[in-house]
Amino acid sequence: MCTYYSISDAPGINKKDENKRNYDFLDDPDIKTKFVDISDDRISKAIFSIPQMHCSSCIWILENLNRLDNDILSSQVNFLQKSLSVTYNNKTSLKKIVTLLDSIGYEPLLNLEEKRDSKNSSELRKLYYKIGIAGFCFGNIMMLSFPEYLSISPQDSAGLDTLFNYLNILLSIPVFFYSGSEYLISAYKSLKNKIVNIDVPIALGIIVLFLRSLVEIIFFSNAGYLDSMTGLVFFLLLGKLFQTKTYDALNFERNYKSYFPLGITIRKNNSETTIPVEKIEVGDRLIIRNGELIPVDSVLIKGNGTIDYSFVTGEALPVKKEQGEIIYAGGKQTGGAIEIESIKEISQSYLTRLWNNKIFSKQKEMNSISLANYISKYFTFIVLGLAIVSSGIWMFYDTNTAMNVFTAILIVACPCALALSTPFTSGNALRIMGRNNFYLRNVDLIEELTKITDIVFDKTGTLTISGKANIKYEGMELTTKKKFLIKSAVRNSTHPLSKMIFDYLEGHYIIIEKFEEIAGEGIYAEINRSTIKLGSLLLVNKEKFDISGGNSVVHCSINDEYIGKFIINNFYRENLTNLAKELKSKYNIHVLSGDNKSEHENLKRFFGNDSIYLFDQSPQDKLDYIAALQNADKKVLMMGDGLNDAGALRQSDIGISISEDKSNFSPSCDGILEAKSFDLFTKFLNFAIYSKKIIIASFIISFVYNFFGLYFAISGNLTPILAAILMPISSISIVIFTTTGTNLYAKKRGLI
Amino acid sequence: MNVEKFSYDNNIVRLFIYASLVFGFVGMLVGLIMAIQLYYPELNLGISYTTFGRIRPLHTNAVIFAFVGNIIFAGVYYSLQRLTKARMYNDFLSKFHFWGWQTIIVAAAITLPLGLTSSKEYAELEWPIDIAIAIVWLVFGVNMIMTIIKRREEHMYVAIWFYIATFVTVTVLHVVNSIEIPLTLFKSYSVYAGVQDALVQWWYGHNAVAFFLTTPYLGLMYYFLPKAANRPVYSYRLSILHFWALIFLYIWAGPHHLLYSALPDWAQSLGTVFSIMLIAPSWGGMLNGLLTLRGAWDRVRTDPILKFMVVAVTAYGMATFEGPMLSLRGVNAIAHFTDWIVAHVHIGALGWNGFLSFGMLYWIVPRMWKTDLYSKKLANLHFWIGTLGIVFYSVPMYWSGIAQALMWKQFTPLGILQYPNFLETTLQIIPMHIMRSFGGLLYLTGFIMMIYNLAVTIKLGTFVRDEEAEAAPLIKVKDEFKRGLIHRWLEKRPIKFALLSTVVILIGGAVEFIPTYLVKSNIPTIASVKPYSPLELHGRDIYIREGCNNCHSQLVRPFRSETERYGEYSKAGEYVYDHPFLWGSKRTGPDLHRIGGKYGNLWHFMHMEDPRTMSPGSIMPPYPWLYTEKYDRELTPKMISVMRTLGVPYEEGYEKFANDDLELQAKKISDDLLQSGADADPETDIIALIAYLQRLGTDIKSKPLNGK
Amino acid sequence: MSVIIVLIGFSLLVAIIFLILFIRAVKSGQFDDKYTPSIRILFDDEPKKEKDKKHGSS
Repeated sequence: MCTYYSISDAPGINKKDENKRNYDFLDDPDIKTKFVDISDDRISKAIFSIPQMHCSSCIWILENLNRLDNDILSSQVNFLQKSLSVTYNNKTSLKKIVTLLDSIGYEPLLNLEEKRDSKNSSELRKLYYKIGIAGFCFGNIMMLSFPEYLSISPQDSAGLDTLFNYLNILLSIPVFFYSGSEYLISAYKSLKNKIVNIDVPIALGIIVLFLRSLVEIIFFSNAGYLDSMTGLVFFLLLGKLFQTKTYDALNFERNYKSYFPLGITIRKNNSETTIPVEKIEVGDRLIIRNGELIPVDSVLIKGNGTIDYSFVTGEALPVKKEQGEIIYAGGKQTGGAIEIESIKEISQSYLTRLWNNKIFSKQKEMNSISLANYISKYFTFIVLGLAIVSSGIWMFYDTNTAMNVFTAILIVACPCALALSTPFTSGNALRIMGRNNFYLRNVDLIEELTKITDIVFDKTGTLTISGKANIKYEGMELTTKKKFLIKSAVRNSTHPLSKMIFDYLEGHYIIIEKFEEIAGEGIYAEINRSTIKLGSLLLVNKEKFDISGGNSVVHCSINDEYIGKFIINNFYRENLTNLAKELKSKYNIHVLSGDNKSEHENLKRFFGNDSIYLFDQSPQDKLDYIAALQNADKKVLMMGDGLNDAGALRQSDIGISISEDKSNFSPSCDGILEAKSFDLFTKFLNFAIYSKKIIIASFIISFVYNFFGLYFAISGNLTPILAAILMPISSISIVIFTTTGTNLYAKKRGLI
Repeated sequence: MNVEKFSYDNNIVRLFIYASLVFGFVGMLVGLIMAIQLYYPELNLGISYTTFGRIRPLHTNAVIFAFVGNIIFAGVYYSLQRLTKARMYNDFLSKFHFWGWQTIIVAAAITLPLGLTSSKEYAELEWPIDIAIAIVWLVFGVNMIMTIIKRREEHMYVAIWFYIATFVTVTVLHVVNSIEIPLTLFKSYSVYAGVQDALVQWWYGHNAVAFFLTTPYLGLMYYFLPKAANRPVYSYRLSILHFWALIFLYIWAGPHHLLYSALPDWAQSLGTVFSIMLIAPSWGGMLNGLLTLRGAWDRVRTDPILKFMVVAVTAYGMATFEGPMLSLRGVNAIAHFTDWIVAHVHIGALGWNGFLSFGMLYWIVPRMWKTDLYSKKLANLHFWIGTLGIVFYSVPMYWSGIAQALMWKQFTPLGILQYPNFLETTLQIIPMHIMRSFGGLLYLTGFIMMIYNLAVTIKLGTFVRDEEAEAAPLIKVKDEFKRGLIHRWLEKRPIKFALLSTVVILIGGAVEFIPTYLVKSNIPTIASVKPYSPLELHGRDIYIREGCNNCHSQLVRPFRSETERYGEYSKAGEYVYDHPFLWGSKRTGPDLHRIGGKYGNLWHFMHMEDPRTMSPGSIMPPYPWLYTEKYDRELTPKMISVMRTLGVPYEEGYEKFANDDLELQAKKISDDLLQSGADADPETDIIALIAYLQRLGTDIKSKPLNGK
Repeated sequence: MSVIIVLIGFSLLVAIIFLILFIRAVKSGQFDDKYTPSIRILFDDEPKKEKDKKHGSS
């Protein structure tokens, strides 16, 4: 193990949880199939997702597991995907391996989610085959076409030129029928549906290039345009590759099941063991420890239940449950361990039913067409029109040239720019955003971002930071008595800030009767003839409440004597003031919260009076609200976190999940924004708008090329060499223009 | 099923390292001798074995195949085993490879000074050795491929791809270029002629650079640079991309060696275009290598290994930029045949190949002998001396190359050549050659320092002959039903059998098909061009034996400066019977394509005996043995029939009369010489050589020039 | 100049061989992970020595 520490400077993981976990449920054969890829009677191979790996030492130790356990034969890391594949002989077991990984700090992600299928990688592989073949054929055809350009004359070629031409035909066949097939098929499908998409002019170009070349070579012994054709297909496929940016470690396909643990501790006949969560039956006694998820609707049998439902319903405060009360699935226990008895199976429980909303059953549709597809419609008709008219006119003069002109126009009117601008611009933008911790599911979303009119925010966890806030107290020293008074006063308040102050102060408290909560201002309490006021300065001392940049300040007075103030940092996300200001000038803002109205005034200070604020929203309410906006022809971007937002995120045109840690985010979203880049959000929106401008500019550039090309085509002078020059030049210049354009912009805005 | 224990064969690596050090020294020493001979021809020692013409191929073969070759094998055997987590497939094959290769080198060292050469650059070794090369190379390939197949590490690191590319392509290149018909045990005639031979030769030649001097070294770089720097390659993605782009583009750049030659225009331009395109993938490799050291530049300052590697990669970038520039017509018109090309070659050879080799050696040896390098200071000193050596080598060569070219091309205001006497240009560049040899001396000194450093390191260390290792075997859990019938049938056949048979078929097919095909197409395009007479054939063979083509070209380019100096520019049709072609690639002396009829027989007679009598100050060595050794008449009939097989239209049955014609022609020349007072024996080599020289370029009727 | 056919033939042959190798490599997943191999080569694999076992794993 000596090398482990010499490889990286910060090796290893700090083990947070000293509890030895129980992995008995991994012996269950159904569970095993989730992880075991291949198995025969002697050896097996399992694949795990281990997000903790972060450096070369991690790779070393994970690939040398066989030194820790002889029955592990080999293990291989895929670092970008954060996955580990372990081959072991059947003398050991999945459970032993996971226990081993846990003991060295690399416990794998074990949740209920289905094994990620390798559809992604096989799609990518097919693209590689196509590119490999297109590149090979294109390169060779280019070489064989050069003699023609370099004016080899038939007499000194000794039949070589004919040979080259026929070789070219041979080489172009796989490109036409295999590499370029998807364009042809897509165009065909689109036309069948009476739509003209971007692939129609492309397919037209490819087909005309191919057929005309065949005619030229076979009947007229001229060189064809096969290098242009194969080059076109090659560049297009490269564009497609560029825009297929997959974030290997992020799985946008995940669903709610990823929150469920795989195993649950069950009490059977006075002993505890673990079983797979899916095998829970009605009447089972389950042990839920601090931080664990309640997987099924159940009744509290033993212990004190303090269930945090913020993730599911958005309620900020944990709910207290007494013995005998029903606890719904989806909450997290935040107190000590409790024992519950299940009353429903997992498939019938609240959390699952939440997911059964029909919004999740169908594929999310992209309702608007991209700019490229929009223009391609006009493009195709204009080009076809031009071709017909021009060749029609030429018919009067020279039928040969007429045919020549017809095909030449279709060849030269290259939709290259149309086809290449978007992938390269958006692909580049996607990458740059990714480097700034904003991950979009695919390139089409960049264009979608430019159409947004309304932005909907969830409150808890999105605009506010969930988790422990930072509290400072400034003022008179707090004696035990004062702490007692304040703590008792806040005990009754449902305001999140009250809970924080409650947790912050040590000492005793009592439950009091005389208590009043004044919305937006604070609380007033009476204990044993002392009056305690907490809240805004107005309440406490008749001055304005003070929120500066995400801090909340709670002032305190006892018996009308000003005591001091609690400064709660980071309640709202940093820079929210600036962000809110920038956003509300351009978009309609809506804030939907599962929480109560207590923060209404504070929110107004950020987003102003014109924005809309709704509270006590259930997940269905949020979803319906967004649907209503969309019915009014608005384009909605929703930012949320937590499972309670999943439906709304799915309903919205673009759903962004904000997350502190990118391996854990709300499912069914279209993009993930890491919390540390929250303040860059407007920049991302502006970047998308700028990218669209670049795309439009590159269309204009391509029109210029087309103009030149058309000039030659219409006058009947489009020689193969001209086509062979125009095509790559226009393609390469578009690529350079779009890439440099986006890079320069990003650099200026500090995104690179 | 358990983890397998095995060991890496370090012994074979050690053997190759020793061989590379020995032959590297020899090859560079010969280079130094050659360099000095160019201004101090007395170093020829007056014997036939050591003339410049004879030892130049010895130098090139030694440094390319003996030094670079052995380094490649050392590096490949070291890295391949560790990358595949497997020992070399078969220890016997490894040993066979090693001893076979060294035997070939020794054979080269013996045959080349004896004048047993084919004259084709970097393929001078005659046919028995060519066959030996093919066999040994194949053994290497089998050993390597089987090791890859039996590997324990699933992923094939990019270096392995480079090694495979090297093996496959060099096999094809060697086979195609070496197709020749044997005349005697150590003499053969190329199956290609003239322009076609030139094209094949430089298709081979450039790709030899690409696939012997570049791809294996890129593979070595991708392994040893990260290991030495202990950082991963900057972008593994880029290395994959760079590999595939390089492989598909490299093969077509060959024609750039033949610009302004009798090669058809369009073929020349093809070479230019692809050479330019090659810049991109080449620089991809360079950038990847250099950027790997991002963040480790402070270590480069202290670590000699990293210093060598950085300069190597930079030299690679320079050479791969200069190369495409040199393939531009305008630049090529100046640079071709001059010392500029020599400079270009040596930047690549000394910088890229040499320095990367040194870096690799300094890294490997301490590891295999489990000790530290004896003197880091000495290694650093080696670095600086070597770098200075490269500078002192190349700068004078740029200088002299441009000087030569400009002098050759310069006209007086009246429109005649400023320097009509070639000798003037030779003398002009002597100081640069002196400086260049100093550079070479520095480089060699550094090399000797390295040998010393490594030798002491080896002495102080303990050699680990077989390095213990363990790894799990690759488990292929096959899904039987996925594969089709064809696959299962194929998989039952042993792979090596399939490989071997494919190769054999390829070779056999090629050998059969090509000559017949080409013979049919060798129709002369100029009616007045006739085959060489038997005496001239002997003379041509002597020309080849003495290595005259190493200093003299036979290609007059269509520039006025050349047509003024030499005569009519060379046409493709004139070379149809040249098996092999003799265009040459360097003009240390003047072009000879139009030498026929320019001087009298006596001039040649006296010139060859001691060039300085006819050209004062000449650096050409004397060839006294030509006056005593006799050409072998018995061989004439065989020469005729082989040539006829190759398509030269000697009449049927000419073999019977060939020697009669030969004697007639020989007597004519010797009588002419006797009349002028020279003591000439018609059976000696000199007569045959004179016959050949007087024939050159006379097929096209043109006015003889009044030259000196 | 007909030798150019021979040369093109052989160049194409070599290129086709490499195309086949490329396709086979993609198929067998050689290029699925384009990052980890660059780290992997940096590891030295000294086999476990007997005394390491006594020290136990970290």
